[in-house]
Amino acid sequence: MGQVIRLFQDYLSQYFKTKLTYRVNFITELVSNLVYELLNLVFILVVFTHVPTIQGWTLYEIVFIYGYFLVPYALFSMFFGFWDFNERYIIRGEMDRILTRPVNHLAQISLESIAPDRLFGVITGVIIMFFAGSKLNLDLSWYDPIIFLLLVFSSTLIYGGIYTAIASVSFYTDSRTGIAPMVWNIQNYGRYPVDIYNNAISILLKWILPFAFVGFYPSAYFLKKEELYGYTMLTPVMGIIFFTLGIIFWNQGVKKYSGAGS
Amino acid sequence: MIKITNLEKNFRIHQARSGLGGAFRDLFQREYRTVHAVDSLTFEVEAGEMFALIGENGAGKSTTIKMLTGILTPSAGEIEINGFDPHKQREKYVQSIGVVFGQRSQLWWDLSPLESFRLLRRVYHIEDEAGLKWQERLIEELDLGSFIQQPVRKLSLGQRMRCEVAAALMHKPKLLFLDEPTVGLDVLVKQKIRDFLKSLNETEQTTVLLTTHDVSDIEALCKRVLVMDSGKLIFDGQLDELKQRWGSKTEVVFQFKRKIGKEELAVSLSPFECEINPVSEYALAVLFTHDKLPLVLSAVMGSFEVTDVAIAETSTEQIVRNIYSTTSETNGVASHG
Repeated sequence: MGQVIRLFQDYLSQYFKTKLTYRVNFITELVSNLVYELLNLVFILVVFTHVPTIQGWTLYEIVFIYGYFLVPYALFSMFFGFWDFNERYIIRGEMDRILTRPVNHLAQISLESIAPDRLFGVITGVIIMFFAGSKLNLDLSWYDPIIFLLLVFSSTLIYGGIYTAIASVSFYTDSRTGIAPMVWNIQNYGRYPVDIYNNAISILLKWILPFAFVGFYPSAYFLKKEELYGYTMLTPVMGIIFFTLGIIFWNQGVKKYSGAGS
Repeated sequence: MIKITNLEKNFRIHQARSGLGGAFRDLFQREYRTVHAVDSLTFEVEAGEMFALIGENGAGKSTTIKMLTGILTPSAGEIEINGFDPHKQREKYVQSIGVVFGQRSQLWWDLSPLESFRLLRRVYHIEDEAGLKWQERLIEELDLGSFIQQPVRKLSLGQRMRCEVAAALMHKPKLLFLDEPTVGLDVLVKQKIRDFLKSLNETEQTTVLLTTHDVSDIEALCKRVLVMDSGKLIFDGQLDELKQRWGSKTEVVFQFKRKIGKEELAVSLSPFECEINPVSEYALAVLFTHDKLPLVLSAVMGSFEVTDVAIAETSTEQIVRNIYSTTSETNGVASHG
């Protein structure tokens, strides 16, 4: 683990070194990232000013949930950005190289596709949360930032676990599956209060692909929805369970890969 | 150092039926065919040996290398290398080996080789003084100095390949795997890499396993050759032995002063088993086993007036061609691998 953290620093510094060699690129990327995040924010505000409340949830509450969601999402996309896993590692055979290095394979792949520029999402998310929070007159306790970090960490684990499991599907079949885009669509539902959906969808979002724990339930704590605190407390548990599942699935996949090869 | 006993690897391959109807039937009932990519492979290698694994495409070379490097799990049999079981103790084992896949890169595309080396030294925990010194030596011996600061994607194939070799050796492994390392390289670069490998083998006693289609690689580097065909080891021995076994035919072309018929020569060569082919009106080619060379020469010179003699020794390349053609005739279709 210690080695992975040291490697993480190295990969980060390499990332910035390569980015900085192309000055123009770096600046345009910086600007376009900021503009993208701002547009997102404006879009949300525009949509929600037309819909003042959804089943008892006010505009700013929903904006707050969206702000929270952006933070674990940004962290997730920074560390688990191997969307092209199938193409890059299985089809092009880079997985063989990974397996000939003395570092955990998942850690290597995560480090190789690390995308620190996604961290902008954290900033946007925090800004949105403060903005919505001030409109809602939410007050902060001294321990709230700590709880926030814990919840964000857990949400990121849920995200990471689910997408690691999806990436592992590539070990079993080399054809493109529709799973990733499908899950991608479902994850967006986690940004809204789960009780506005019908039963089937809300069960899906709670227990099967628990995206409710990536946005809605953790935010409920800061929005002082006491009836949902039970779910908020469940977030770390779900994080550990789903990340563990993801890793188990991944390790099985690697085993299968070693068994069959190409 | 390397001990391999009864190594086997089987693949189950889905046999797709033809046509749309076939595809539909495949949905419900699939037919599989088991392919023995590697079949009862047994050999041992001493530390410090340089040896080549050759065979046609699909003979099982890559599968074997992948099992030896811990990428693939064997279906049966045992591998012990440097005291490890490659697949079961992967992370510890790979610390002691270096791998160069000619077709793939170890280096980071956007980084300079120097930065790549730095990352690799981190990956393999070698950040001490000795590690740096070793890196200096690799850079010097492979002559990487002039392009070490350029991004890898800007390097020529020859430059990149030399960096690949350096990268694979960064952690000073005891065993180096080279999978077709010289594909597409020019003669000078090949020579440079070979010279380097030789000196590495001499000074560090690094064991080197090479798979290649380039026979000159083998001639330059390896004393020992393993030949695989259809997953089986069909030859394991010295390069000289290989030459004797498959390349034992020597061809001598005699140029005569007058027209000599094939039959006429055959009479005087009747005690020897040989094949005579006409080359031109005045020249005949005689094909026989190498050990009869003096006898044949004296017999022909004794009975005819000869103006010129040309002896064609079979090259290793020809031998390899011989092996490939005879084995695929006797064993039928080569298997997947």
